Amino acid sequence: MYSAFGIVKPTGRNVWVDGLEDYRAVGAFSFMGRYRLIDFPVSNMSNSGIDCIQVYIKRKPLSLTAHLGSGRHYNINSKRGDLQVLFPENRTEHDLYNTDIDSFFTNIEKIIEMPQEYVVIAPAYMIYKMDYSELVKQHAESGADVSIAYHSVDNANESFLNCNILNLNKQKGVESIVPNQGTAKNKNISMDTYVMKKTMFIDLVNAAHKLSSMYTLRDIVNDVSCTMDVRGIPHRGFFASITDFKSYYDANIALINFKTARELFSTDWPIYTKTNDSCPTQYFQDADVKLSVVSNGCLIEGSVENSIIGRGCEIKKGAVVKNSVILAGAVIGEDVHVENQVVDKRAKLIHVKELVSDPSEPGYIKRGDTI
Amino acid sequence: MKQNEMLAMILAGGRGSRLHDLTNKVAKPAVSYGGKYRIIDFPLSNCANSGIDVVGVLTQYESVLLNSYVAAGRRWGLDAKDSGVYVLPPREKADANLNVYRGTADAISQNIDFIDSYAPEHVLILSGDHIYKMNYAKMLAEHNSHGAAATIAVIEVPKKEASRFGIMNTDETGRIVEFEEKPEHPKSNLASMGIYIFNWKLLRKMLISDMKDPDSSHDFGKDIIPALLAEEKLLHAYKFKGYWKDVGTIDSLWEANMDLLDPNNELDLHDNRWKIYTEDVTTLPQYLGPNANLKQVFLTQGCTVDGEVKNSVLFTGTKVGTGAKVIDSVLMPGVIVEDGATITRALVADGVKIGKNAVVGSADSVEIELIAKKVKGDE
Repeated sequence: MYSAFGIVKPTGRNVWVDGLEDYRAVGAFSFMGRYRLIDFPVSNMSNSGIDCIQVYIKRKPLSLTAHLGSGRHYNINSKRGDLQVLFPENRTEHDLYNTDIDSFFTNIEKIIEMPQEYVVIAPAYMIYKMDYSELVKQHAESGADVSIAYHSVDNANESFLNCNILNLNKQKGVESIVPNQGTAKNKNISMDTYVMKKTMFIDLVNAAHKLSSMYTLRDIVNDVSCTMDVRGIPHRGFFASITDFKSYYDANIALINFKTARELFSTDWPIYTKTNDSCPTQYFQDADVKLSVVSNGCLIEGSVENSIIGRGCEIKKGAVVKNSVILAGAVIGEDVHVENQVVDKRAKLIHVKELVSDPSEPGYIKRGDTI
Repeated sequence: MKQNEMLAMILAGGRGSRLHDLTNKVAKPAVSYGGKYRIIDFPLSNCANSGIDVVGVLTQYESVLLNSYVAAGRRWGLDAKDSGVYVLPPREKADANLNVYRGTADAISQNIDFIDSYAPEHVLILSGDHIYKMNYAKMLAEHNSHGAAATIAVIEVPKKEASRFGIMNTDETGRIVEFEEKPEHPKSNLASMGIYIFNWKLLRKMLISDMKDPDSSHDFGKDIIPALLAEEKLLHAYKFKGYWKDVGTIDSLWEANMDLLDPNNELDLHDNRWKIYTEDVTTLPQYLGPNANLKQVFLTQGCTVDGEVKNSVLFTGTKVGTGAKVIDSVLMPGVIVEDGATITRALVADGVKIGKNAVVGSADSVEIELIAKKVKGDE
């Protein structure tokens, strides 16, 4: 067993989710009703035996720090383990300068003092299940300097457009890391998940910082891939990347299918989250709910189909919710028809009776809005 | 926080033998209720919400699960400094042999040293097997304003059922003048809820003399309360209005679950101002398949349903297969109903599997059927 600590990266400029991101960091996004995106990397780490975890936040820390708390709900040992939330000290108004390297560099003391030999770096905007202890083992035994997890897809021409591609040679050596331009179907998408020795990581952060104040971890790893041994490690199973509004919506909807969900969730790999102590959900006489994922604490009197309902929502009589993602505490009023929408937290849809968007461009209702 | 003005002791040692197979391996307070709770979550959450910091739980019958369950005081927020849930099974002491708890009062008597260590002004005695929401701080305020030696919570019950309860006869000020255990001809309809506030110094004295009395059954209702009345102490009746249920039988446990389906039910678990806390189980949200059809259902996380469910309460991790039917039933945690099976008017015990196309229970049964063993279906 190799010792490793975990880092959850701040999200880069390739990620912007319209609407939702006005209110919270990407890691704090609600997902599948009861989860937040941060639950996935942190649970992966916890399940992999990594219980010293640093979460870096770039902006809007409130929701995320409230959700992470002491980290006890992630099954992290409260004495030996540690969940740190780190914020860059010298954040500027120019987002170009607020890179992941900048976050790491300003907190380099915190990284140096970690006693573990290896570090696993994962993003908050990608959803997958991965045993990092296997990743570290594979990396350590390969003798590589840096390893990057990747996922082979056959729809890179239309999806994963804000992600990076690993160009690999036959020995899975990384030749370059380039943005996905959507030019071909079959590509190896970088999972933005790295493993290396802590000393190597510190060297790369320092080198990147010296080279350019706009450099990211991807940039420096891309630079060194021609001189160092950088390798790709393939991943199989469910994989989603939330880089914009549409991919957020699509990832939620995709997991309504129970078979798909089973690729991501399994009893031996629990995804932990913070409990809200909501009571069970009540379905009334007029409820008609099918092919949906529902959280606790809801009162449902209307129809719901192919949708995700967050905690403590009310779906009133005659309301119809279709192909939509409803976040916690929202109210869908009597006879309101909602289709292809993301309804943010505590929004109340009461007076406007028809909110239907085109399936290719789902709509968004702001947090706490009354419509 | 300041020193405890009132400490709570929850009596949780009973088996609840009329719950048959449900309490073979767990005590009654640990029986599941309402989709995600155990019955003892109610008094524990009430304590936490009422600002009581220290709770002793007296366990005896099949206490392994109950002991570990309540010891995690964090679930109810009872884990601040100077706060905690203490599991108190009978124990051997330097000056006394290991004795089982001989009655409700004896259970407290054997833990006088525990209570003394907190030196509370008042002690609240609770049952671990009642379902209700109550603010004990309000009860304490009334106890103090009446200058009572002891206060007993009472609830109005229908006159014709009064003979099943311990009945309090009061004067116009609320002072208890007479206590009758299960009277044949009740004079009032104020039933004791088994919830008592005592001044600790007085109760301590009463318990010590009760311990020495060879004729005592060491019971609060039968011995301590009558003794206090005989000494003409001021006993006050605190009138409680709201939902309260003592689930002694399979039928009443089923009924208490069904009560949750009534949109106007007084227990109102959706009320966020008085949450009931419980174990945090890691599960998926509720998954409803393309063939799901739910009418009048209480459903919790970790359930997957692709059949028809009507007028039923389903607990954590239950699965209802395609084309299965669950009607007027209660499915305890982890129950699996395979494709095409039908369950009517039944209470299915924890983890029981109902096989493919099997039929259990019937719509016109007098009593609710308890299914505690696997039912074979088509292979």
